[in-house]
Amino acid sequence: MRLSTKWVAVAGITLAAGLCAGVARADDAAAVDARQAVMKSQGKDTAAIKAYIDDKADLASAQAAGADLVTQVAKIPDLFPKGTGMAEFPGKSYAKPAIWTEWDKFTAQAKTAADKAVALNTALKGGDKAAITAAFGDMGKNGCGACHEPYREKKPS
Amino acid sequence: MPTAPAIADEATVARGAYLAGAAGCDQCHTDSKNGGAPYAGLRPMQTEFGIIATPNITPDAATGIGGWSGDEFIRAMRWGIAPDGTHYVPAFPFPYFGRLTDSDLADLKAFLDSLKPVSQPRIPGATSLALLARARSAIGLAIAANRPAGPAPPADDVAVARGAYLVATVGHCGDCHTALTWLGAPDPDRFLAGSHGGFEGKKAPNITPDPKTGIGSWSEDDIASLLNDGGTPDGDFVGGSMAEIVRNTARLTDGDRRAIAVYLKTVPAKGFVKNN
Repeated sequence: MRLSTKWVAVAGITLAAGLCAGVARADDAAAVDARQAVMKSQGKDTAAIKAYIDDKADLASAQAAGADLVTQVAKIPDLFPKGTGMAEFPGKSYAKPAIWTEWDKFTAQAKTAADKAVALNTALKGGDKAAITAAFGDMGKNGCGACHEPYREKKPS
Repeated sequence: MPTAPAIADEATVARGAYLAGAAGCDQCHTDSKNGGAPYAGLRPMQTEFGIIATPNITPDAATGIGGWSGDEFIRAMRWGIAPDGTHYVPAFPFPYFGRLTDSDLADLKAFLDSLKPVSQPRIPGATSLALLARARSAIGLAIAANRPAGPAPPADDVAVARGAYLVATVGHCGDCHTALTWLGAPDPDRFLAGSHGGFEGKKAPNITPDPKTGIGSWSEDDIASLLNDGGTPDGDFVGGSMAEIVRNTARLTDGDRRAIAVYLKTVPAKGFVKNN
């Protein structure tokens, strides 16, 4: 039996397309992992700053966390390539589709968060606790929280 | 003949404004996503009774609550009955507000009356869509009305009592955080132990001191701090509908946030039940 060239070509193209899709999906999954790792490291930083505010850690550790936070938060918009949300990765990602349908609004909010992280870092460098506490609350509520509110789905338990 | 309401003094209005913030009235009664005026309603809300456009509660006589008497306001808040005799669906948390004190209700009305009247189109509720859900909840509510909202707090502890009032009545936390019985009323055996039927059908976490599924590992400071800036002990910041709530709890006094924290630590610890 002899396979026609046409069928070999079709099979070849199908296989290649499938492989490409597989590779793309693996890349996307890696993007979700990378994003979640950055978010976790931000959580570590904010927890460290919070520990200082609550008198459970010294200023130096909070200052180190604040400097790191600025670089982490600045990465945010690039951590959200298309096709890496909860629609594509149910049960793994909790990033809502709205991120990509209103991308400009999303990046504006990410920019706000980055600006507020910078303000917090400035306050940390200044060392005035009242100013640090105020900047921390402002960043949390109007930076992190304001983005989580429209764009992050709740995790089921 | 109805008489014009007396102009309330500033202190009364300020107390009412504080209470409205603690109860989060503006959260549902403002279409904030579309830039709607505060308390002027028309926020589309997904409920088990269908999609509801929230009512305008500014004192506009034709489309708001401007023409309401004090008694009509109290009847609506406590029993969910509108001045025209129609019943609200319990998406409006009147089952919680039933325990608001007379003076708090008077302050609240004084505050709402002090707002600028806004004229809005009136959108009737989708009654025909959800007759069964309404019937079910009517039965459930009638039964629940005869039960306390939560475990009785010790009367001698002022902070706990204040926290209980803020959590179980004013803040109606159980509206999202308490699972419902099969009749659609808050289940007293799972008070604040989390629900899969929270705001717009989303999951709401267990906020009892259960060490595994609740917030047993949180200190009073941790709870008060979340209510202030939305931050959790692990450095995360809450999103979703709780972020909206935090905007209101951030406006409470430190003492009230502390009272909520103190009270939540006294609530019976219950595990989160997955299938509800």
